[in-house]
Amino acid sequence: MRVPLERKVLSENDRIAAALRERFQRNGTFCVNLISSPGSGKTSLLERTLAGFDAARRVAVLTGDIQTDNDARRLARYGFPVRQITTGGACHLDASMVERHLTDWPVDELEILFLENVGNLVCPTSYDLGEEARAVLLSVAEGEDKPLKYPATFHHADLVVLTKIDLLPYVPFSMELARENARRVQPEIEILEVSCTSGAGLGQWNDWIQRHL
Amino acid sequence: MSIAESVLDAVRAESALHGGARVTRAGLRIGELSGVAVESLRFCLEVLVADTDLAPLGFEIESAAWTRRCRACGAVFRVTDARPECTACGGDDTEAAGGDQMELSYLELEEP
Repeated sequence: MRVPLERKVLSENDRIAAALRERFQRNGTFCVNLISSPGSGKTSLLERTLAGFDAARRVAVLTGDIQTDNDARRLARYGFPVRQITTGGACHLDASMVERHLTDWPVDELEILFLENVGNLVCPTSYDLGEEARAVLLSVAEGEDKPLKYPATFHHADLVVLTKIDLLPYVPFSMELARENARRVQPEIEILEVSCTSGAGLGQWNDWIQRHL
Repeated sequence: MSIAESVLDAVRAESALHGGARVTRAGLRIGELSGVAVESLRFCLEVLVADTDLAPLGFEIESAAWTRRCRACGAVFRVTDARPECTACGGDDTEAAGGDQMELSYLELEEP
């Protein structure tokens, strides 16, 4: 006997993510999920962001890695609450990991919650974490064809942050082509260019965050 | 691998909803924009299912196309080569219409 269905494979993850999203919206917390390959500069961008924030701001970070708490230690220096999610093998964060790591935190008072996903341009795509916005980072050292190679990742993103633009003189990277490729996959996507080394573009990144508060 | 585990969880949950009937075959619909490679998923499912009570469960995986809808002429078209322009009228005002599915599309249950 054949039973037709339309059951989402990740329905349990989606259920938890929906509850998180409802909670973030109710409390006015802007939650952003940062996705990129390893080494594209997620942690560096967060370091620069936290360093620029007034200490009174209510900001927290959950940072995911397969192993080590290096990123949490890097980020904790800025005085905001930071927690490491060590996935122990999983190549992405899922909503239940986020939910578990928020216990006994003053989540409901946060204005911004950054979720730094595990460095991976594929698997994090499928997992809704309850975020309001999803930002994909792409460093100029990686090549401008990444949006075409990983269309699912860019298709589900609200923002692309092109990072390490201080390296442009040294790498064969066309900013124009990178922008065109991202827009082919997701015509409505916003695009920013930053360098965490020179500080270029960090103002626009902060404006983007500010707009969501 | 975690997605394959979620597939088996979904199969078990649906089987329970149908009186615990034995599932002989499961259909999956995986969109081109889901971020899942069909062949990898098939491999993971075969490895995972072999050691469980669900064996020998077979899978049929159907790929769902990446589609967009034209806001001007209403056509729903398949996106090829990541071109978002409407293939019917050439318009560039189009919106996402499909391709991110990752769902269980059917189960074949053993008759009691």
